[in-house]
Amino acid sequence: MALIEADGIHVRFGDRVVLEEINLSVNEGELHGIMGPNGAGKTTFFNTLTGSVKPSRGRIRLDGSDIAGLDPHAIARKGVARSFQIMTLFNDFTAQENVMVALPAFRARGFDVHRAVAGDTALADEANAVLASVGLGAKAAISAKLLSYGERRALEIAVALAQRPRVLCLDEPTSGLGTDGTLRLADLIGALKGKLTIVAVEHDMRFLFSLADRISVIHWGQVVARGTPRELQENPWVKRSNLGSFG
Amino acid sequence: MFDLLPHLLNGLVLGLLLALIALGFMLIVGLMEQINLAHGSLFALGAYLALALTGPKPPLPADLAALWLQVPIGWRYGIALIVAPCLAGIVGIAVEFCMRRTYGKDPLYGLLLTFGVALVLEEILRLTWGTRDHVLPIPQSMSGGFIFADLIWSTYRFYAAGMAAIAIGLVWLLIEKTPYGAMIKAGAHDSEMVRALGVNLSKLRLGVFVLGTMLAAFAGIVVAPIWGIRPHMGVDAVVPAFLIIVLGGIGSFWGAVIASLLVGLAVGVSGAYASEWSLLSMYLLLVAVISFRARGLFGKKSVLEV
Amino acid sequence: MTGTSSDARLITPTMLGTWLVLATVPLWISAVGLYPYIGVEIVIWSIYALAFNLLLGTSGLPSFGHGAFFGVGAYAFGLTQFNIAANIWVSLAGALLAGAFAGLLVGLFIAHRRGIYFALMTIAFGQIFWTISVKWHSVTGGEDGLLNIARLPVNLGVVSFDITDNDALYYFVLAVFAVVVVLLWRLVNSPYGRILSAIRQSEVRTAHLGYNVWLYKLSVIVLSAAFSGFAGGLFAMAQRSAFPDVMNLAQSGLIVMMTLVGGGLVSFWGPVIGVIVFLIARDVIGAATNAWMLYFGTMFVLLVLFRPEGIAGTAKLIAERWRSRSATPAVLSSETRSG
Repeated sequence: MALIEADGIHVRFGDRVVLEEINLSVNEGELHGIMGPNGAGKTTFFNTLTGSVKPSRGRIRLDGSDIAGLDPHAIARKGVARSFQIMTLFNDFTAQENVMVALPAFRARGFDVHRAVAGDTALADEANAVLASVGLGAKAAISAKLLSYGERRALEIAVALAQRPRVLCLDEPTSGLGTDGTLRLADLIGALKGKLTIVAVEHDMRFLFSLADRISVIHWGQVVARGTPRELQENPWVKRSNLGSFG
Repeated sequence: MFDLLPHLLNGLVLGLLLALIALGFMLIVGLMEQINLAHGSLFALGAYLALALTGPKPPLPADLAALWLQVPIGWRYGIALIVAPCLAGIVGIAVEFCMRRTYGKDPLYGLLLTFGVALVLEEILRLTWGTRDHVLPIPQSMSGGFIFADLIWSTYRFYAAGMAAIAIGLVWLLIEKTPYGAMIKAGAHDSEMVRALGVNLSKLRLGVFVLGTMLAAFAGIVVAPIWGIRPHMGVDAVVPAFLIIVLGGIGSFWGAVIASLLVGLAVGVSGAYASEWSLLSMYLLLVAVISFRARGLFGKKSVLEV
Repeated sequence: MTGTSSDARLITPTMLGTWLVLATVPLWISAVGLYPYIGVEIVIWSIYALAFNLLLGTSGLPSFGHGAFFGVGAYAFGLTQFNIAANIWVSLAGALLAGAFAGLLVGLFIAHRRGIYFALMTIAFGQIFWTISVKWHSVTGGEDGLLNIARLPVNLGVVSFDITDNDALYYFVLAVFAVVVVLLWRLVNSPYGRILSAIRQSEVRTAHLGYNVWLYKLSVIVLSAAFSGFAGGLFAMAQRSAFPDVMNLAQSGLIVMMTLVGGGLVSFWGPVIGVIVFLIARDVIGAATNAWMLYFGTMFVLLVLFRPEGIAGTAKLIAERWRSRSATPAVLSSETRSG
């Protein structure tokens, strides 16, 4: 059963058509990879899914209800979380605070002005649990800007997880990570597989092919190939464009 | 309808003067993506320097001063029109050296820095020339008035508008018809490309900043006989300048010129009905336009938005 | 501003210390050669600066037209007193509400903006309010100002204090300051304040976490304008008049400068430090030379160039260095965003 479904997404910037006609259906619990050459429209599609770009045509259904054209915060509230390729953390906050503001319990108290955050152990415990789940349990009190690159990548994902999303959208999660970091991240995401519906835009083929249930290849604003990793390796288009080669 | 003619004409003249004031501001925002709030003070500096050069007491030894004052006012005015902007340009170099540290940073740094510079410059003007109003002497042939359509018109306003139009034309030529213009335009959007072209970006920036300063000073001299010279005149200039840039759209030459004319006309025409409130019209124009077109009339996406 | 135990308290030791020191001011202020009225000014401007910093330091919204809200409050205080009721609480409420209303009006136009565009639009709105205050003679008195504003008695139901005397006025505004500090301290440390801080650090991320960034920004603009208007009301009462010049660009710039100089970007108390330093320097240097703006301007330029985190920020940095000298050399970062 499809949890999130894009239907005929068309995006145009001025007179430039960026997404021609994108259809995508991701089942509950599936990890769906999106790949394609640079400038193919992956990122635009990703941004359309999460609300920062409004489609000129088409629908995006989350569990049956149309979310296309809603503002990012409204889409986030419906259970779609995203990470950022260019890390977008709250640098002056500690790791714990980064996660804390993402918690739905915190969001529910957004306009609360009379209770202090510090000293609220329930929120802190919940945030610490999320941090522990990505291996940052010991780093809770460290300011985000002082974490190492790999730790920041993990925190990026922790923040998205803290939102308790139904759909987790990852934008180039391995970007900038070395081999070790990528392996660790693969473990982390592998552990989430099946528990969450995940859409990941990624250029690291090895990473994507080892994790994804299905992969869609976007080129020229359209889905040019789709299938399981095994099917895609046999796909003539993917073969021709060398996209399927394991670097 | 005919009653409106003088207001339209005055508006047009004001528009050209505002465009002149905004030109240097526009060049600096375009290339450096930093707001130069000291623009108004440099404008005032130009006027004061011209006053020193033409006025009754030039800052020279007594004999030389007497000799200088023998020179006809027309010549003195003409020389001031060239020399004063050059002197202001030297101050511009100093400001640019401070400003350098802000390039590529949050534009707020530049805004704050130049706000401080404006305070300092304004205070220097006040200490040097006092707080009272001064009048910049102009050649006889440019002063006075003439009668047209049963109305008395000030001759100087039209000379000023003419000088503004010439400066606008020259800047347009520089931007559109010279290789420097191409670099300035490229620099605004793509400093890497400018470097790749082998242009020394820091020299280009210095050059443009100095040019912007000189334009500000020139505008100050041209406008001074109309607005009068006082330390506070900078604020009266910098506020419309930034307003015009936002209204026209950052990085657009014609946007700035058209916005200037619109503001001039708005102030001129509203002056016909409610002279007390005519200054308000430019702010209302800005708010109205920006509410519908976030980037101004002709603006492109800019770093300043983030 | 990371979570420490004092963030959770309603009243912190720093607050108590500040209040105590301020409470002794009338005892020694004349002895050190300062004019006693400066205490009143410091306290009122501190309220204003703290309110302003709710935008600049907490939310990262650079308002360059904040004088408008301060001025609206000042006029509202006088007008409420003349036309509605000569009661201090009614007049102060009038100042607060007028500030909030002006903030709402402006906020509706600018709450979706940030950075330099936000700054430029606030300049434009500041000028609008300033022009109106100069031109609308029948209400504001134009350039002549709104005169004969009374220091109304502080009516507490059972007792009523007279505050026409400067010392009495000082203790009244100090008490008000104490209340405002407690409110604002709680606010910046509440979930709401934390979200404002998140918005400052990344609007995009905050939106994707499900927060309606526009609504938060609008609400904080209204709050900041309301407290600024409130401070303006106190100021009009202290000065016994309201003038347009508190709304002009230079005055709006001053509050930005004071806040930055003090270190409002990194510290809750930064704006207060800035106000104290600025006003005392004004009186001390101003007594010695009439070029005091020259020195202050130069100092500000150097500060923006080399120490944008201000006095409080520099003090923090030195303290951290001091501490890390004995411990393992911690990674220090002097990078501070501008706002």
